[in-house]
Amino acid sequence: MPTPFIQTRALEYTYFAEDGRAIPALRGIDLTVGRGEFVALVGPNGSGKSTLARHFNALLLPTAGEVWVDGLSTADPRQVQAIRQRVGMVFQNPDNQLVAGTVEEDVAFGPENLGVPPAEIRRRVDEALEVVGMTAYRHHPPHMLSGGQKQRVAIAGALATRPHCIIFDEPTSMLDAEGRRQVLQTVRQLNAELGLTVILITQSMDEAALARRVLVMDGGQIVRDGPPEEVLEDPEVEKLGLGQPFAAEVARRLRERGVPLPSGLLTVEALVAALTETHRSYAVGLPG
Amino acid sequence: MHIRVESLTHIYARGTPAERVALRGVDLEIEPGERVGISGPTGSGKSTLVQHIAGLLTPAAGRVLLDGVPAHARTPEARARRRQVGLAFQFPEAQMFEVTVFREVAFGPRHLGLNADEIAARVRWALEMVGLDPDAFADRVPFALSGGEMRRVALAGILALKPQVLILDEPTAGLDPRGRADILARLRAWQEQTGATFILVSHHLDEMAGLVDRVVLLADGQVVADGPTRHILGDGDRLRSVGLSPPPGVVLLEALRAAGWPVRTDALVIEEIISEIVRCIER
Repeated sequence: MPTPFIQTRALEYTYFAEDGRAIPALRGIDLTVGRGEFVALVGPNGSGKSTLARHFNALLLPTAGEVWVDGLSTADPRQVQAIRQRVGMVFQNPDNQLVAGTVEEDVAFGPENLGVPPAEIRRRVDEALEVVGMTAYRHHPPHMLSGGQKQRVAIAGALATRPHCIIFDEPTSMLDAEGRRQVLQTVRQLNAELGLTVILITQSMDEAALARRVLVMDGGQIVRDGPPEEVLEDPEVEKLGLGQPFAAEVARRLRERGVPLPSGLLTVEALVAALTETHRSYAVGLPG
Repeated sequence: MHIRVESLTHIYARGTPAERVALRGVDLEIEPGERVGISGPTGSGKSTLVQHIAGLLTPAAGRVLLDGVPAHARTPEARARRRQVGLAFQFPEAQMFEVTVFREVAFGPRHLGLNADEIAARVRWALEMVGLDPDAFADRVPFALSGGEMRRVALAGILALKPQVLILDEPTAGLDPRGRADILARLRAWQEQTGATFILVSHHLDEMAGLVDRVVLLADGQVVADGPTRHILGDGDRLRSVGLSPPPGVVLLEALRAAGWPVRTDALVIEEIISEIVRCIER
């Protein structure tokens, strides 16, 4: 078990609608995310995913219960800046996150606000742009970039504050296929190569399959927590209408048609390998 | 309504350092009642093209004709035709402003000069079309609804205009998979009921596959392919060459083919994909 990085205890969050009704958005969340984990957070619209994630960098404070980040309580106002420095966020729409006239000014915005000395800012900006593969665009105005490029600049901006963890809130939902590919590759790299803790909120079960742990939310609670191979094919999770990874759905339907296939086939590569194995045994007349 | 796009060119920020050509001489014809998908990578000109079809932009060169009348003209004939084109932008709920769901959906019909009974009937019909119970939702505050409900209200506001042409720009962006499938099924039912022209702009090619009969691909402001859905979306190499990812079924079948399976690679919907694999196994 890695060192705990984010911990919540009996976390509840209730807000009031315009008509005065109390809406319980989070109902008793007990969760530990270890340092360096890659966690996908999935669930229907309105299940509380974003609300939960906003507690991880003190953008929201619990109505009841507690949240600690790297041992710091989000309820302690003196720790808020330290917490936000440790946990960066990247949102859905890159156009709402880019503020400056050039890519490198945009990436420098975060460390400037933290009062980092200019020479250090220079170093961090160069490094962050290198990590996301956007060095060649450093002097470009952000609005001239493609969606995937903008989102990578937003990621570089988060990286330049030197966080231990980045929360991605549906970072690919407004991107085309190439943009999605670029962003997901960057997300995986931040976790695998830099050891950052990554929390990926997504509506795509194919994206969730990239994580090593999947949390499923429904009605303000975590209803399932486990590795993607166990969670994403669970019929109870299926009932929430989240869909399955494409390959898992094909495998399930093939099993229903009598094709012998193991469970846990979450990617096209895994499915093709398993099918080809089965098919070869058919071909040489071995028992199927 | 007959739509004809002739040598259409659009240039943003013309004469400034940020000048960008978004459409370069696009020719396109869409017959009444057609179901057409328009796709292409970000920046390919999809959204610009449909805004021209709705008469919201003025061409730098070329023109769009709606039943023979230039779409952007300031004439009563052009205005009457533009009213028959309903365009839902991405995240249409961002443009809602009324205080109740009823008033929000009624906004368009009211401006068509319909009487109160007709307006009420249209609001009911449109809310039912998008899967919202009119009795439960009419008096609610739009901004207190969930994201999926708000999207439905915004779409109902456009359906209530009873347009002859409905253009949807990424109508399911940000919705969960169940909401996505439900809204698309309802829009398809609406199209079948009304026989209206249906234009779907999206880069989710798997969603597009079951909804349209024809696909137009744009790249860098030009039409690079235009044909039957299977012909366009089943051609993985061409999609990749313009920077799009093929639908996952095509990717799977291509991978099986590469592994030696004698499969067709242009199956688009899941039933078809399963049948194709089973057919090979049972040979």
